[in-house]
Amino acid sequence: MFRRHRSEDDFAAEIRSHLEHEADDLRQEGIASDEAPFRARRTFGNVRAAQESFYLRGRWSWLDRLLRDLRFGLRSMRQSPGFTITAVLTLALGIGANTAVFSVMNAVLLRSLPVADPQRVVYLNTSGQPDGAGTIDTNETFSYAVYTALRPPNGALSDLMAVGLLSGDKIGIRIGSVPEQAEADMVSGNFFSGLGVHILRGRGFDEQDESTSASVLVLSYDYWSSRFGRDPSVLGSTIDVKGVPFTVTGIAAQGFEGVEPTHSTDFWIPLQNRPEFNVLGNPPEKGKLYQADPTWWCLRLIGRLAPGVTRAQALARLQPIFEHASRTGLGNPMPGERPLVLSFFDPKNFAGYDQMYGKPLHMLMAMVGLVLLIALTNLIMLLMARNTARQREFSLRLALGARPAELLRQLLTESVLLVLLGGALAWAFAVLSTRVLARWALIESSLAPDRTVLLFTCGILALSALVLGIAPFRTAISGGAELALKTSAATAHTDHGKSRLSKAIVALQMALCVVLLVGAGLLTRTLLNLRNINLGMNPTGVVVFNLNPPSVPHTQPQLSHFYDGLEARLRTLPGVESTAVSSTRLGSWWSNNSDVMVDGKHGETPDGKTILVRMNDIGPNFFHTLQIPILLGREFNAADGASGHHVAIVSQLFADTFFPHQNPLGHQVNGFTIIGVVANHKYRSMNEDPIPMAWWDYAQGPGEGEMTVEMRVRGADPLSILPSVQKVVAQLDPNAPLIQPMLQLQQFETTISQQLLFARLAEFFGLLAVVLIATGLYGTLSYRVNRRTAEIGVRMAIGARRGQVLWMILRDSLILTAVGVVLGLPLAFLTGRALATSLYGVHPLDPLTYALSIVGVALVALAAGALPALRAASIDPLQALRTE
Amino acid sequence: MPTQNPSDDRIALLQGTLDLLILRTLVFGPCHGQGVARSIQRQSEEVLFVDHGSLYLALQRLEDKKWIRARWGTSENNRRARFYELTPKGRAQLDEKTSQWNRLTEAMGRILNAAGPQNEEV
Repeated sequence: MFRRHRSEDDFAAEIRSHLEHEADDLRQEGIASDEAPFRARRTFGNVRAAQESFYLRGRWSWLDRLLRDLRFGLRSMRQSPGFTITAVLTLALGIGANTAVFSVMNAVLLRSLPVADPQRVVYLNTSGQPDGAGTIDTNETFSYAVYTALRPPNGALSDLMAVGLLSGDKIGIRIGSVPEQAEADMVSGNFFSGLGVHILRGRGFDEQDESTSASVLVLSYDYWSSRFGRDPSVLGSTIDVKGVPFTVTGIAAQGFEGVEPTHSTDFWIPLQNRPEFNVLGNPPEKGKLYQADPTWWCLRLIGRLAPGVTRAQALARLQPIFEHASRTGLGNPMPGERPLVLSFFDPKNFAGYDQMYGKPLHMLMAMVGLVLLIALTNLIMLLMARNTARQREFSLRLALGARPAELLRQLLTESVLLVLLGGALAWAFAVLSTRVLARWALIESSLAPDRTVLLFTCGILALSALVLGIAPFRTAISGGAELALKTSAATAHTDHGKSRLSKAIVALQMALCVVLLVGAGLLTRTLLNLRNINLGMNPTGVVVFNLNPPSVPHTQPQLSHFYDGLEARLRTLPGVESTAVSSTRLGSWWSNNSDVMVDGKHGETPDGKTILVRMNDIGPNFFHTLQIPILLGREFNAADGASGHHVAIVSQLFADTFFPHQNPLGHQVNGFTIIGVVANHKYRSMNEDPIPMAWWDYAQGPGEGEMTVEMRVRGADPLSILPSVQKVVAQLDPNAPLIQPMLQLQQFETTISQQLLFARLAEFFGLLAVVLIATGLYGTLSYRVNRRTAEIGVRMAIGARRGQVLWMILRDSLILTAVGVVLGLPLAFLTGRALATSLYGVHPLDPLTYALSIVGVALVALAAGALPALRAASIDPLQALRTE
Repeated sequence: MPTQNPSDDRIALLQGTLDLLILRTLVFGPCHGQGVARSIQRQSEEVLFVDHGSLYLALQRLEDKKWIRARWGTSENNRRARFYELTPKGRAQLDEKTSQWNRLTEAMGRILNAAGPQNEEV
């Protein structure tokens, strides 16, 4: 039906042949030779009608009309490639930006965990921990005792799942002979069944796996794809996890990336009750693992509501059990200690990240919304201009009997074509850009657009097509059929209302441009400020990596022995200037905080408040390697560890806080003698305020599982030393991969990645808006100049100078700019205020940013106006008048 | 459309019969459209009237159904013409349609030629 085998020409030829044969026969029957053809024709009947029936045979007439409209649309797009390319690109950028930001927003704020019936799944949240308990996250982690208490059937939850982190980052594993790192969680036996996560191959875990600490392992689909190339034979094979062999028994369904926000888990193992797998890889606290230690709140708990139970009912039933369980093994509460309160929150993919990403994302969404608005107004103006130029065509068609509805159909078809092309490009743009965004924001989870995003995009596309089809309709038919009879180009542009509308649109765009430039400017200043933060050290050229050698017991002096040997070998590598170790990596958000005893007294402020101190266990040469200035005394050396003389180093702020106007050397912290004072520097993140710090010699501590190694390396690419480092480590322990190797500076930048991302995006969209506005303005102005060719010709013929013409055109765009700026400034003030929390080191009303933005807008206007103005001024009056 | 003189005693073809006549005509070998039209008119002793426009559409319809196939060739008076011939599928259809037609005309004949009273009941 859609494929026609025969052309109409062929059919026509057959009819001609028929007529000839008929004439031949008629001649034979005695009809006069010149009469025969006419007779043949007469007998045949209506040839045209037959041909038309042939043409319509088996077609759907609406489809045919649509195809004709499409063909016509494509033809007219081909005829003006400049217009088509501009329009499609504008749409692609405008819609693509929205799709990209929306898919990030969807992934971060809207999308639920990919589990069965996610509305019934809740993350358990506590108001805090009992005094004296340690925690990973104040609100999101619980003790094993709470887990076991809430777990038995209680009419509130049908399943309670527990998740324990094996490490703060990645853990060392070995597949075959080479050690590597992977992201893994240990989970309760009902983890997959309770969440309703389908196991693609093999089996998930059960209660017995948990109770026996079974050495079995389930891979995530992504890890299975990326690491094993979806090889099904991986089932049953062995993976060494922290030196312990585990058997792969299952592969989880595609799309499930675990329950850790922004991370994608590579594999899961059942909860383990053995020292190698204490939560976070910590050494046992007073000989107790996490399962026996009620003071360590380290498990994330996820529940599935029992059928028919509301959240409020479930909470009411769980609260008393929880309150009781939270005190297990802790004795009576301290005076004034409040009972802990349980609550639920939604199983979002990025649980708990609303705070961090919510506001910036809403701002970004507003920004790209503005960009789309600018893009659409641009296109409307472009289409209006183009359709005015096509008015003669439309008039001719009206004159030939086309109905307005048919013209509208044609315009809609053309806009749908444009929008579809733009939309396809936009989708590609969004898929690519979300990947880049995820890398910038250091988010491992997928931000890729999904079905919700597709729906959103289709909505925008439909709206755009409608707006772009209808908006120019008025212009198209305004000429009426009679315009076809007129000849002068000048007759068409006498409509003042229309030019006022386009002026208003340009002014509006200018206002939006001011807003976006101010926003982008403020955030760029923030970006620069963040970049230029003085870290109090020289992180350039420092390579860091973590190690957790399975072969080394987490006790002293074995650890010191291992790291001393390692450092000695590393220092022999070419380019290595110095090395050090620390138990907490700088710039990793982690810190070990506690109150301290200073000279035997509780360290507090003069008004009696406890002062928290950050602490880190470090080895010799730490400050030397990071180039942190030592103000007084010295840093640790190899002799300190063995001497047994307990020593400490403090920061300048520590000294100023606890020993104002005194020499701190020789004073005691927690019974350790202060031997040195170092300058304040950034510790946890880049944009923090300093707090007092103290350092201990790790050789004198209990011994930590995982340590960070810092190395100062010469050369343009310090990271190129990693392969030789891996070789050195392998000589000491073949099962120890380098965990999270990177530059110390990169590590610090991860702590401002969200601000960096936001600022970069804002810069990008600001720039995009400026480009769109510049092209739009250029298009509008040059179009106006074109329409005034005759007028300019007349003016120049009667004596106007080129300078006057130039000014006349430029003045037009400068007036519009001024109006736009006046409109835009108050809006920009509001934007600056809304951005205030995202800014660093720059005031929301920063005059420089505002001044630069206004200059920027004026430059855009000048640049866009200059070309058409110059062209107008160079019009040859004779030529111009002749075109009439 | 060809206008028919009311006094014309030729009969315009019933819906669907044209296809059958074309198939039947082509049993004798490949033929072009004009030949088919003449042949039908001649064989019906000028009783049946073939509208030429409809004929060509019918030919195209049969070709689309793959009951006949066509190719351009040269006619006996040395002119280019599009020749149609039966396909095996068309031959089978001809047999089936012919027997259908025979049964139909028999039944029609029985009813139309039967004598009297029942007619009033209908």
